[in-house]
Amino acid sequence: MAISRRGFFDAFGAAGRPALSGAVLAARGLEAHLATAWAQDPVQTGTSTGTGTGGGRQGGRGQRPQLPPGVEEIRINSNENPLGPGKVVLDAIVGKFPEANRYPFNSTPKDADLVAALAAKTKVKAENIVLGAGSQEILKNAMRAFVSPYRGLLTVAPTFENCTGFARKMKFPVTEIKVDSSFKLDVENLIATVRGAGLVYFNNPNNPTATVLGAKVVADFVERVRRISPDTVILIDEAYHDYVTDPTYETAIPLAMATPNVFVARTFSKAYGMAGMRIGYAVGQTDTIKPLARLQMPLNVSVLGIAAAVASTNDPKHIADECARNTEVRAFTVKALTDLGAKSTDSQANFIFVDIGRPAKEFRDACAKQGVMVGRDFPPFENSHCRISIGTMAEMQKATQVFRDVLHPMAPIANPSKGGGGFHDAGRAGGGI
Amino acid sequence: MLTRRQFNEALGIGAAGVAATSWIGARGREGGFLNAFEPTLEALDAGTICLASNENPMGPGKTVLDAIQKAFGPTGGAPGRYSSAGGDLTDAIAKKFNIKAENIVLGCGSTQILRSATHLFTERTKALVGTIPTYEECAGYADMMGNPVHGVPLDPNFKMDLDRMADAAKGAGLIFYCNPNNPTSTYVGARATREFLFKVRRTSPDTTVLVDEAYFDYVTDPDHETHIPLAIEDPHIIVARTFSKAYGMAGLRMGYCVGHPDTIRKMADWDAGTGTSSLNVLAMQAGVAAIQQDPSVITAERERNKAVREMTMKWFADRGMKPTESQANFVLVNIGRPAKAFREACAKQGVLVGRDFPPYEKTHCRLSFGTMAEMQKALTVFGDVLGKPATAAAA
Repeated sequence: MAISRRGFFDAFGAAGRPALSGAVLAARGLEAHLATAWAQDPVQTGTSTGTGTGGGRQGGRGQRPQLPPGVEEIRINSNENPLGPGKVVLDAIVGKFPEANRYPFNSTPKDADLVAALAAKTKVKAENIVLGAGSQEILKNAMRAFVSPYRGLLTVAPTFENCTGFARKMKFPVTEIKVDSSFKLDVENLIATVRGAGLVYFNNPNNPTATVLGAKVVADFVERVRRISPDTVILIDEAYHDYVTDPTYETAIPLAMATPNVFVARTFSKAYGMAGMRIGYAVGQTDTIKPLARLQMPLNVSVLGIAAAVASTNDPKHIADECARNTEVRAFTVKALTDLGAKSTDSQANFIFVDIGRPAKEFRDACAKQGVMVGRDFPPFENSHCRISIGTMAEMQKATQVFRDVLHPMAPIANPSKGGGGFHDAGRAGGGI
Repeated sequence: MLTRRQFNEALGIGAAGVAATSWIGARGREGGFLNAFEPTLEALDAGTICLASNENPMGPGKTVLDAIQKAFGPTGGAPGRYSSAGGDLTDAIAKKFNIKAENIVLGCGSTQILRSATHLFTERTKALVGTIPTYEECAGYADMMGNPVHGVPLDPNFKMDLDRMADAAKGAGLIFYCNPNNPTSTYVGARATREFLFKVRRTSPDTTVLVDEAYFDYVTDPDHETHIPLAIEDPHIIVARTFSKAYGMAGLRMGYCVGHPDTIRKMADWDAGTGTSSLNVLAMQAGVAAIQQDPSVITAERERNKAVREMTMKWFADRGMKPTESQANFVLVNIGRPAKAFREACAKQGVLVGRDFPPYEKTHCRLSFGTMAEMQKALTVFGDVLGKPATAAAA
């Protein structure tokens, strides 16, 4: 679908879309309270704890359905790490209580120490790193720095919508390229559309579709974009990097370090289990990330966050264990749903994107009644697919029981007899586990 | 009124733009702020006395630290979750001031508030107005955006010159009104501030005034009140507050802005989504606990600081070194020599004092107040460095 340059700007320009609504906007996993922050109207997404921020409502109070006594809510709607950061990190936080009164440049470790630790870990220099209050600050400042009314955002449908939301809010043009038939980023169509774009948002693995592109494909994409549209900045968001098991995948950090106008965003919110701590960073050539450094909010990471991030960066085994745990639970969940006839995309993250053969809303509401909170709508797949984050094994065992109840009230959880069939077929299958 | 260029020169910055990023300060961001001018502070050794950053040496206290630990959740998993505690904190603040949630927007420290305000209310044709010197966050950000900055000199007592401020305000986009002012520690009384605000509203109705009450809780002057009641009624007045000072939470990064719902909506909207997402869960839970704790905690901190302040100011006055009339947790003292030489000599003896504050860097040094014990030790060091031993001069 080649779109002319004009088409690029016209495609989804400010006038071309309805006003923002919480239903189509996501923050990274913050379905409830951040997604709605864009909208004026509080309470949008119908998930757990939503209210908007505009006019004084940051975050919100619980609006969860009443659950029967003894039923604990299972939150698998926000791609969070259910275990948190782990004991080493929590100990590091408590250890820094005596420095809660110190600014992050006076603490031990201080902000520069975190930058140094990240530089060592990613094999770059400190000058190649910009800290963010979560990677969302990086994404937001990338919109401010690289996108304008004249140079739009090129992104994906569906993908993490933080950039999209901000660009629309700023009335910058936005073009969305639908994922391909295997729910991967459609590099050919992105390349066909990229000329003149201010920035390409390239989420790999992609949220919510959970798919990943291999290193060769990414390198080829970058090379072709550079040739066609050298001024376009490429933001490769590797939020879910640690969870990837596909052997063809590699981080794009070396690519970014070798290529102007390319940078990688990372976060401590996923495998590192610190979504609540708000720590992310950008890595790239100094000239590329200079605008992000200029826009960086001073003192954006707390003293406790710095200590936590340094401690976890120095504990790679913990992350490896967390990823192994996720891989196991992910495989279990994918199989359980496949057995119910609900096919998942090839997940390389801590969530799966599942064809449930019915509107996500219907499924979500039904699961919520049983205390299982699953992902919100992801147009254009909101009538067939649901995003489910991977909780603990115990949580997913319970959750898959609920999924079975909701998808097939009469069927047992596993139904190998109809492998490959749609859930409609599976629905007819009685019998065996 | 100084032009932006003069302002920059007065600050010793040189041509606008060249050093723009280097003077993007944050409140008390001594280390990073002047990297081009002085080395970053080394990590604090045990035993080092840090009087450099206007921090509260007592910290937030057990109630708040317990709340942080509680925020880990029963299994320690809670920091792995995105948090919606901002609503609780907003409610707690609203209750404290008897205002509504719609009057409040939270920030990652008041830094985020100051940046948002500067972004929204200054333009190429609408300057930022502030005193020389003052806390630099707004001026630095305006300068980075290419928006003009008008610096207004202080009066001879290092207080804000309100007449000159009001003159400079005409046609300006934003007035940064830091009271008590950092680094001078001087304070303009509530009545004079109110008159100033009314005057600006009359003479320059489109100008927004940001009243930064960061050091509010340390003021002991009886003519003292918050301007929050004015702000919630008037879309052109906003008040910034922080948990970094009397609440002892500089490391946690939490501040807020109070104002008219329309203005607050603009502030929240500008950073919406991403604005909220800059707030960490531990700071939000700490903020709730801090706001809800018994007010006597802050009263006690004010009294503790006052005692240290009086002792320190007297010590310098007794030695002929005039301190400003401090109403904060720091003071600007005329030490009659360059701050740099004094700072370096003190650092050698384990006492860290404030950085340069042009145009007074050749004569004045800013000293934050530590604990009484820290301050007593520090004064011994100062006596040694300044050639005025405490014992001899006290005689």
